[in-house]
Amino acid sequence: MTTRILFHLIKRLVPVLLTICFIVWLYTFYGAWDYTIKNIAEFFKLIIEHFILVIISMFCAVIVGVTLGTIMTRKSMEKMSPVIMAVVNVWQSVPSLGVLALAYGFLPLIGLSGIGMVPALIALFFHAVAPIVRNTYAGIKSVSKDVIEAATGMGMTKKQILFQIELPNAMPVIAGGVRTSTAIIVGTAPLAFLIGGGGLGFWIFTGIALVDMGIMMAGAVPVALIAMLFDYCLGVSEKFLVSRGVRTDEIELA
Amino acid sequence: MGTMLSLQKVTKIYPGAGHIKAVDELSFDLEEGEICTVVGPSGCGKTTAMKMINRLISITSGKIIIDGKDIARLNTIELRRSIGYVIQNIGLFPNMTIGENIAIIPKLLKWDKAKTDEKVLRLLEIVNLDPDEFRDRYPKELSGGQQQRIGVARAMAGDPPIMLMDEPFGAIDPINRAHLQNEFLKVQEKVKKTVIFVTHDIDEAIKMGDKICLLKDGHLVQFASPEQMLTHPKNDFVADFVGGDRTLKRLNLFTVKRAMKDNPPTIHQDETIETAQNVFMKTNTRYLIAVDSDGKLTGMIDKEKLNDETGKVKDLVSPTNAWLMAHASLKDGLSEIFSHEYGFLIVVDDNKKVLGWLHTQDIKETLKG
Ligand SMILES: Nc1ncnc2c1ncn2[C@@H]1O[C@H](COP(=O)(O)OP(=O)(O)O)[C@@H](O)[C@H]1O
Ligand SMILES: [Mg+2]
Repeated sequence: MTTRILFHLIKRLVPVLLTICFIVWLYTFYGAWDYTIKNIAEFFKLIIEHFILVIISMFCAVIVGVTLGTIMTRKSMEKMSPVIMAVVNVWQSVPSLGVLALAYGFLPLIGLSGIGMVPALIALFFHAVAPIVRNTYAGIKSVSKDVIEAATGMGMTKKQILFQIELPNAMPVIAGGVRTSTAIIVGTAPLAFLIGGGGLGFWIFTGIALVDMGIMMAGAVPVALIAMLFDYCLGVSEKFLVSRGVRTDEIELA
Repeated sequence: MGTMLSLQKVTKIYPGAGHIKAVDELSFDLEEGEICTVVGPSGCGKTTAMKMINRLISITSGKIIIDGKDIARLNTIELRRSIGYVIQNIGLFPNMTIGENIAIIPKLLKWDKAKTDEKVLRLLEIVNLDPDEFRDRYPKELSGGQQQRIGVARAMAGDPPIMLMDEPFGAIDPINRAHLQNEFLKVQEKVKKTVIFVTHDIDEAIKMGDKICLLKDGHLVQFASPEQMLTHPKNDFVADFVGGDRTLKRLNLFTVKRAMKDNPPTIHQDETIETAQNVFMKTNTRYLIAVDSDGKLTGMIDKEKLNDETGKVKDLVSPTNAWLMAHASLKDGLSEIFSHEYGFLIVVDDNKKVLGWLHTQDIKETLKG
């Protein structure tokens, strides 16, 4: 048993460590380290902006996505849900850059500024909410009719069924949606710079414009590390949120 | 023991189904502690009739009275919490452990933790699953039969006076099904619930029911005890449904003890052969049942093999397996009689003490009533 866990750890850790080594090597090789040290104040400002972009849009996407997905499964919404789903799917199919451009172009029409962090957040949110809505809806719909009937027949209220039965059983599917959304947000966040949303995209695009690999790496490497960090955090929280009875992976770490 | 459950002209018409009555003026009364099996061909309205009792399906017209109260006036949620519910496809909650599944109703009823834990433990023991092994497992880690038992345990957790069971053993192979049926009847002896038990299997209906409610196209064809239904089927439909072998089926309804005759020809194994010969003369039988001082069966002696020998009965006794426990069914009794050459069967209690003997003639008389 312990050897299996050890083997599993090694299998998971080795690729991660190798990737990090490679990234850090690139980082130092192109002199990004020096550039960052020299501009440490700006670095912190950018990284905080970046975190704000990712965390706030992610947070809103989860709250709104799960709520909307859940509402769509309610009986009274039966007719509306295919419509909402279609809208949501279209949103997701628009390319990241397109979403930003739309936010830039559309928001001024309703009297909001198209430039700055708020439009970037709105764009990221709209782009990322789709997989969560879709997976929440599909996850709850996939809970067996028998399970719901048993719960109803035993005298559970609608609310109890939702929170104790439907959502926990849909959790692996919802978690899958959250992972997809995170990937989308983390991947799109650097583009926020293009509409003045700030974040590490500033250094990446500056580096590209100046053909300076050092500056580019100073932005790109933290972006990659942040992506890995978020993925790791999601994995850990899934362990707490997804019951062992509905988890699909076989190997579990004691 | 009063009427626990009463259906009064209960009717269900599904909207938009061409006004066909899925259940048509169904009426019957059930005493406290009785099992009523609801049986009939597929689509005859069994499930519909059952689900109207916990209001999973609304009643079109008619009344259902539980313990003197019209269920239409009760709070739906409270009504359901007071009725144990087992569905055909089990429906255990995959995200909860076995212990949590069983504890769900006690939790809804806000029992304290100690009482709930105690209940979970007791129920797992009742359904014959080791609490330490199973309490923390998840449903997916159990076999179908084990899950089914948990389904029954979960339904009993809130101590409901009434249980509704929709084909609870339908998805289980015949051997395990017989086992679960027996276990359920054993538990029922202790807990004495009022049970509505839906099945499409007439043999199961006969075995499990104190009363059988036979439905056809939504209406009641016959409501009677298994014995009555087998001896006096109301019409050809019932006779057909219970089957041409209904006399043989009745054998399942009686125990060996019910049909046996007392005072079988016995002899103490320490008696002399001479005494045995005298007894043979008096009883005019070919075999004597040998017993020890506690009256326990030790074997049989055969008159033909007696000769003029002197000595003890003990020396001539040959062991025999032509015996059955008193609570075995008459069907087993008949089968046993035919598998030995004696022409009768010895009936013993749990300690193998001889209680009586059974001939085919006794079986005939019992069936005649
Ligand atoms: N929700 C429903 N809507 C319309 N008709 C139904 C519905 N449920 C059952 N029925 C019909 O009612 C009749 C009785 O069904 P049911 O009670 O499920 O029968 P059983 O359990 O005896 O097989 C059947 O003819 C079935 O087609
Ligand atoms: Mg049915």
